[in-house]
Amino acid sequence: MQIDFLAKKKMPYCPGCGHHASNLNLAKALEKSGYNLLDVIIVSDIGCSGLIDENMACHTVHGLHGRVVALATGIAYALANKNKKVIAIQGDGGATIGLQHLLVAARRNVNMTLLVLNNNVYGMTGGQLSGLSNTSLKEKILHDEAYYPPFDITEMAYQSGAVYASKIMAKGEFSDKLGEAIKTEGFSVVEIIGPCPAYAYNSIKEMMELGYEEKVLTNTRPFVAPQFYERSSLFDSKNAIERQFSAKISNKLSILLGGSAGEGVQLAADLLAQAGLSCGLNNTKKGEYPITVGTGFSLAEVIMSNDPIYYTGIEKADVAIVTSQDGWEMVKSRVNEFTKLFVDETIDTGTVDYGVKLPFREKVGRKSAVLCAIAYWMSHSGVVPVDALVKTFAGHKHEEKLLEAVNTGISM
Amino acid sequence: MVEEKEKTKWVMTDGSELIIESLVRAGANAYVNYPITPSNWLNAFALKRFPFFMPAPDEITTLQWLCGMAAAGKIPVTATSFPGYALMIETMNEVYMMELPMVIILVQRLGPSTGSATVGAEGDLLVMNGTISGGFQFPVFSISSFEDCWNIPPKALKTAVELRTPVVILTSKEMIMTSRSFDLEKLHAVEPVKMKYFTGEAPYKPYKPNEDLIPEFLPVGNEQHQVRINSSTHDHAGMIKKATPEAIGNSLRLQEKIEKHIDSYSIYTFIEAPESETLIVTYGITSEACRESVCRCGKSGKGVSLLILNTLIPLPKFVIETMNSYRNVIVIEENSQANLVRYIYGVNLPTNVKKMNAFGRMITPSEIMKEIASCR
Repeated sequence: MQIDFLAKKKMPYCPGCGHHASNLNLAKALEKSGYNLLDVIIVSDIGCSGLIDENMACHTVHGLHGRVVALATGIAYALANKNKKVIAIQGDGGATIGLQHLLVAARRNVNMTLLVLNNNVYGMTGGQLSGLSNTSLKEKILHDEAYYPPFDITEMAYQSGAVYASKIMAKGEFSDKLGEAIKTEGFSVVEIIGPCPAYAYNSIKEMMELGYEEKVLTNTRPFVAPQFYERSSLFDSKNAIERQFSAKISNKLSILLGGSAGEGVQLAADLLAQAGLSCGLNNTKKGEYPITVGTGFSLAEVIMSNDPIYYTGIEKADVAIVTSQDGWEMVKSRVNEFTKLFVDETIDTGTVDYGVKLPFREKVGRKSAVLCAIAYWMSHSGVVPVDALVKTFAGHKHEEKLLEAVNTGISM
Repeated sequence: MVEEKEKTKWVMTDGSELIIESLVRAGANAYVNYPITPSNWLNAFALKRFPFFMPAPDEITTLQWLCGMAAAGKIPVTATSFPGYALMIETMNEVYMMELPMVIILVQRLGPSTGSATVGAEGDLLVMNGTISGGFQFPVFSISSFEDCWNIPPKALKTAVELRTPVVILTSKEMIMTSRSFDLEKLHAVEPVKMKYFTGEAPYKPYKPNEDLIPEFLPVGNEQHQVRINSSTHDHAGMIKKATPEAIGNSLRLQEKIEKHIDSYSIYTFIEAPESETLIVTYGITSEACRESVCRCGKSGKGVSLLILNTLIPLPKFVIETMNSYRNVIVIEENSQANLVRYIYGVNLPTNVKKMNAFGRMITPSEIMKEIASCR
């Protein structure tokens, strides 16, 4: 039984509009395609081309100006079913504003067909020029624009990886040409050149003289359907930290760690927080660094507390450990004489004359200096046992190096 | 008898991990992303956890892909920050008009414009309230504690699906990029959201509302009924109409359904201090500083009441009623332009309401304590 894809024969277009022929040929191509009505989803743009919905008996989605290819891409990805056919329709104006969407869909070889109904103008808004407008039309409407050649959307789609890209004239019977695109697995596009009697060219006959070249361009590439995976919980890979040590904290301890990018500050802070957790404390840890993560300062804040921690900022640090000048510049305004301060001896601390200065960097190198200094503080203060810190990196790929830093800190 | 030891699993985790895990458990199944600081931790976890993950070339494309996926029956999610959200606003209107569910996590940062990508701030509430042309509203949630990172996303997702609407979860860098010690065993089970499909006889009208003002959904591509989804003004059949009574009524219903169901998604925490004449109202990251301040006040014997908002739009009626009942109200938020105060009161600030704000930094408990003291 022949399936009629047209919900109604009367079209909403101006007399002589090329969209009329495009729609009739699309319906005919679908009838010949073997698809059932509800296997086809027409996705339309804003503009005269987007008036197609009411004429189609299949699923229809009517979106925004220029976004139809991206919208259709989402539908095609979600369906992930080669027995469903997603067809996007837009005009030359929509193709201009949504050019990137078209190129991306071609590059990604999205399983869909795009029809670009190129009548050379924005018909719905009064006949403005688009990026696809022909030079001769530009000379009539806005002469200076004639200096700039139109996009060849067919070539661009092909160059971006479309499996099938063709340019055809909206003349007579061309349903089989559309059918070639529709049966393509992967991304196909057909640019259909047609008249807009209201604002551009009066007839297809007139447009045949403009030098448009009908063509078919094909790329051979495999179609890879999008995948939906069963993935395990993020928690499955998290190892529980056992509470096996005890700390000597009366209430809350705020610790600032300051160094430079690439010097292990964030790792050291993570290990310190884990050590606190293994002592049964509540802990927070946060890091701060410039947007260029490989250069500049690296700052970490760790709070340990017997009570629940609400506010995670540090107004004034109880302990500050700083191993580079970059880090000091970030920390110096947040310490005072009540802060237990440990700084590398290479740092110029200006007028700050309190704290302990030691050669952490010289002893273990810049990448381990913060951990070394933490171990120094822990071993001398006894607030959190060093064993708790050592336990956190058991099995770590750099365990030996980390242990060396800790032992050096203890011995200083 | 041997007493059974309470099962625990203490780990260091962060808000990003909790948000993504809870969303997937709640039924979210597609994630599209364009990277932007400070939302990237969410994206990194989504890559590991979501059944479908796809990087998009920009935020316009991101939301268009989400829109298409939702039209085909998926429950999609993305995360962004203001510069990205600005590009999404056109499509937010489309999704709203099409009545499709999705969750956008907006990790706020310091503006205006691209501002400072790595500096926390919470100044996008008024953008939320002005996103939809005509002043229409969609539900906007705020994460105000670490536990909220687990509890709010499933609620937001459920609201999006049940009301057929996009929803936004507002959060910020400090909330999703701070690690905490946490017992995973304390997390309650997340109930997956069930998509309800139309099961009636033809003709199916995709925008004909039920008694709850919500149209029953069918995805495009289904083999039972033709579906028409439309972003322009449309009738119950999903056909473009200019200003017919049915089409205008359909558009007006979009706000009506959001308001009708407000009780089902209004979330707030009210900690009432007996005899207190002072109320602190806050949301987002500042809630933590306020909690600490209120605890300190309680310990000193001068209790202060605290109202923390998780549902910001539409505003639960309880919020205004409660604010009106206190002699002193301090609205504390991490932005310079007092977004919440302007959202509630416009430019006519009642005499009992004070605003407290900070720009480019967190508000500290000490500052809040001073402000509370000045009210006494």
